[in-house]
Amino acid sequence: MGKRTSKPPRAAAPAGRERSLAWLQGLVVGALVTLATSTALLLAVLLAPAMVAFVFDRAPGRPVARSVALCGMAACVGPELALWGVGHDLAAVAGLLADLWTVGVAWTACAAGWLMAELAPIGMRAVLDALGLARAARLRSGRAKLAEEWGSGGLPDQ
Amino acid sequence: MASAPIPSGQAGPPLIGGLYSIDFGRRMDWAGGGLPAFGASGPAAAGLPLMAVQATPRYPPRAAVLTALTVPLDGVLGPLAHGPGRGAGGEAAYYLICPAPAGPPLGAPVRAWNEAALLEEVLRPAATALQQLDSLGLTHRAIRLDNVFHVPGQPVELGAAWAAPPALRQPALFEPPYSAMCIPSGRGDGAIADDVYALGVLLVVLALGRLPLDGQSDAAIIRRKLAMGSFTALVGDQRLPPLIADLVRGMLAEDPEHRPHPSLLLSPVTARTRRLAARPARRAQRPLVIGETEAWDARTLAYALAAEPDPGGQALHGGAVVHWVRRGLGDSALAARVDDAVRHRHAGAEDEQRSSAAAGGAMRAIAVLDPLAPLVWRSTALWPDGLGTALADAQAGDQAVLGALTEMVNLESAGSWASVRPERSDTDTLRSAARAQRGWLLGRNAGGLARLTYSLNPLLPCASPLLAGCWVAGLAELPAALEAASWTADRQKVAPLDGPTVDFMAARSERRLDVDVADAREADAGIQFGTAQFRLLAHLQARHHPAPLPGLAAWVAAHSGPLIDGWESRSRRTAIAAHLQELAQTGYLAPMLSVIEDPPGRSADSAAAQRAAEELARIDAELAEIASGGPAREEAAIRFGQEIAAGIGLTALAAVLVAAALG
Repeated sequence: MGKRTSKPPRAAAPAGRERSLAWLQGLVVGALVTLATSTALLLAVLLAPAMVAFVFDRAPGRPVARSVALCGMAACVGPELALWGVGHDLAAVAGLLADLWTVGVAWTACAAGWLMAELAPIGMRAVLDALGLARAARLRSGRAKLAEEWGSGGLPDQ
Repeated sequence: MASAPIPSGQAGPPLIGGLYSIDFGRRMDWAGGGLPAFGASGPAAAGLPLMAVQATPRYPPRAAVLTALTVPLDGVLGPLAHGPGRGAGGEAAYYLICPAPAGPPLGAPVRAWNEAALLEEVLRPAATALQQLDSLGLTHRAIRLDNVFHVPGQPVELGAAWAAPPALRQPALFEPPYSAMCIPSGRGDGAIADDVYALGVLLVVLALGRLPLDGQSDAAIIRRKLAMGSFTALVGDQRLPPLIADLVRGMLAEDPEHRPHPSLLLSPVTARTRRLAARPARRAQRPLVIGETEAWDARTLAYALAAEPDPGGQALHGGAVVHWVRRGLGDSALAARVDDAVRHRHAGAEDEQRSSAAAGGAMRAIAVLDPLAPLVWRSTALWPDGLGTALADAQAGDQAVLGALTEMVNLESAGSWASVRPERSDTDTLRSAARAQRGWLLGRNAGGLARLTYSLNPLLPCASPLLAGCWVAGLAELPAALEAASWTADRQKVAPLDGPTVDFMAARSERRLDVDVADAREADAGIQFGTAQFRLLAHLQARHHPAPLPGLAAWVAAHSGPLIDGWESRSRRTAIAAHLQELAQTGYLAPMLSVIEDPPGRSADSAAAQRAAEELARIDAELAEIASGGPAREEAAIRFGQEIAAGIGLTALAAVLVAAALG
């Protein structure tokens, strides 16, 4: 009898890393809320669609939520700079959030991110299908030439 | 003497031997010895009347005689030239050009001759002619009333006897009984003694002034000759001039060795003193009845067994013959030999083998009873040297005889027959010949009855329907004949080389072509034209006809489709077909064959075909992968699409950050 060694499941390491990352994110968010409450509040409102997407996107890597978040964050840069420019307090946050344009742009950016995440695969599928069809056409053309040259010599016709 | 192939595509009647023309309007059938004959003319005539004797394919001319008889002989209408031609009706024919006889045949009408005339005008000139023939190793075998010609006061001339198998048209009266009992086409060349016998009969007829035994059947004449002896049977109590009677008695001896040689006949007085008396045969007190034939002695018993095979076989194998020979004839030694010959059978063999064994037993018994008798196989009697002509005749006629002859060859019966009568035949030669004939018949590669028949008959024409109207007896004549046929045959429907032609080529060509011949046969010649046939034709042209054969080449090209289809590449096939058509116009088959065979090209073609097959398999696999790759593409599209979306978002974020940093 040889010595038997038991191996841990392969999914155990990524799951552990994911839990560590979740803890790290929680720590960052907690620090942000504690140390920069107004910034966190503004981001929470402006990136609300992204957080919703993170909740509902269960795909590995959360690709849709990621796209929504990135687009939303691009729209948050302006309001955050404005917040920091006027004093970085809750009144300024309220004033910024009261401006529907600011919220609308941020949420529209999130919507654009979601839309891109949904439409890009469709476009890519169209592109791949087109490439496949073109390749098949070239192959069939080559096959027809072979069959014409060697057709009655025993090659099967398609 | 010359022989030339029949010219093809030439206007006008062909010249025989390239020199002699035939006047079909001047028939001379009275001079042809039973064969059609026509007046002829040519440069060698010089005032000498000529005639052309026509041979038919069923009865080919005597090739050995035409080869050996190259100089004119006194007293014989010898051949001056010979060659193929067309009959008066356009049929295939072969002609022998001979001097026309100076006078009418002796039989028109028969009259009584006196002794001096018989000696000076008949015996001496005929004996001289026979002596010359014998010195060349030849026989005449056609001495009879309608083939010996005479001008009053002049010596007789022996007619032409070369355009048909030996003794084919000899009546039983003029033949020794052992030759007369054979099938007419199987009598063989025989010996000069047979001509001496026929000359003896002629002397009797002329001395008597009438035909003895006139009106009797051949069988009756043979029985009478065997029972009484030929001289007594023919002369009976008639009176002949004393000298003639003494000469004829020797000339009509049953044993050929007892007949005087022609040189002896040149001196009749000396010849009459030569008496070789055969020992009288033992005669039984009571006859043995075989069928409708009564046998009184061993000779007539042998004939009865030959003539009545069924009752003869029963009597033989039932023991009646042995019993009669022992008791009735009183010859215990002969009875023991007959018994030994008959008992040599295949115990436990199949019916067919038993039947063959019984036939072999009868053959040996007849040979034991009468060593002078010919080979008798199932009532078919023949001399072994007449086998070839008998086969040629039987193939066009009696299938029962053909079956008997084939069985006889298959069992090498001639060797067995010779071993029973070693003192009367060259056993070793006959055995070797029988073995060779069986080899031709059953040869693994190119054997067959047709090959055997062609091999034994050098002037037998090819029986191919393609060559109808042409007498093609040799390979040298075949290319031109096929070229002529190519302009009349339906090139698309009929192949240029059919089965009979392949058999003919097998018989006439050297053994190294046997493999090609066998391949051609396997391809069922006549239906499918294959490489083997192509090779045979190319060899034929290269060997025997160096001139172009455009018609035959075009014919071959028209049947080269299956050969070209052997190439894999379509473009190469098209190119080869076009090239063949070009080469066909030149009329040479060897270059066409090279294009068809081309071993390096074939190898390259096969390799390219293999590569093409592999490429095609790869394409098919990729097409299948594309056809079945929808889910994979879907997955890839989602993955790439989402990455692209994330990338755009990241780019926007970076751009905004950069813009903010720059103020």
